[in-house]
Amino acid sequence: MAAGDARPGDDRELRARFERDALPLLPQLYSAALRLTRNPADAEDLVQEVYLRAFRGFAGFEEGTNLRAWMYRILMNTFINAYRKKQREPVTVQDDEIEDWYLYERLGGAELSAETEVLERLPDEDVRRALEALPERFRIPVLLADVEGFSYREIAEILDVPMGTVMSRLHRGRKALQKALWETVQERGLVAG
Amino acid sequence: MLEQIERYLDGELEPALHAEVHAHLAGCGPCSSHSEFQRRLKELLREKCGCDEVPPGLLERVRAVFSEPGTG
Repeated sequence: MAAGDARPGDDRELRARFERDALPLLPQLYSAALRLTRNPADAEDLVQEVYLRAFRGFAGFEEGTNLRAWMYRILMNTFINAYRKKQREPVTVQDDEIEDWYLYERLGGAELSAETEVLERLPDEDVRRALEALPERFRIPVLLADVEGFSYREIAEILDVPMGTVMSRLHRGRKALQKALWETVQERGLVAG
Repeated sequence: MLEQIERYLDGELEPALHAEVHAHLAGCGPCSSHSEFQRRLKELLREKCGCDEVPPGLLERVRAVFSEPGTG
């Protein structure tokens, strides 16, 4: 029995609780892992490693607290420690030069339906690629806030950084993303000019 | 006002400020247009970047990580 001192009954209960509470998070964690690793094989390995670490720590997890945030914290730590070394980081974005509302201004800023329509026409793959192309320190906060819907406080805890850092990276990340999406919109010929 | 919109849409403004921004947006075309655009962009990311199909076999691989030996 691999579970140390735990009695068999406790062990079975723990496994059942882990299966019930943690396993349903698999699709979200896999998507997030793909955005981090940008590669399905690495994403699968990363997710498996996350579940291994999470199960090992699960006995110490306080039931009723935020399991989802706890799992994402393990995801980020595992990624940063084990996988990031292999990754080639995208070229740094000179984001100080990107003004606020970058994409909005370029799409015209007047006729709202036309702007959002351009967004709708972007292929899913292009949107994913634009997000994945962001440097990690911007990509991760945008992923956690906009895709996963975590609050600033949760993101600060997941990443172990101050709230102010979360807000600043999120703002800069969104600007950089708008610039990347604008480039895609132009490449696709979705707007004139 | 435009600087507040990001936090407003993230649901991160304190209630009084949230209500203030909300009231402003109702009466200000340009701000409301910016806000709607940013909201749609957030929605788009959520729709397109968060639901990749789980590869066949991954669920079993993950389950094997915590299954009792001999049952998984």
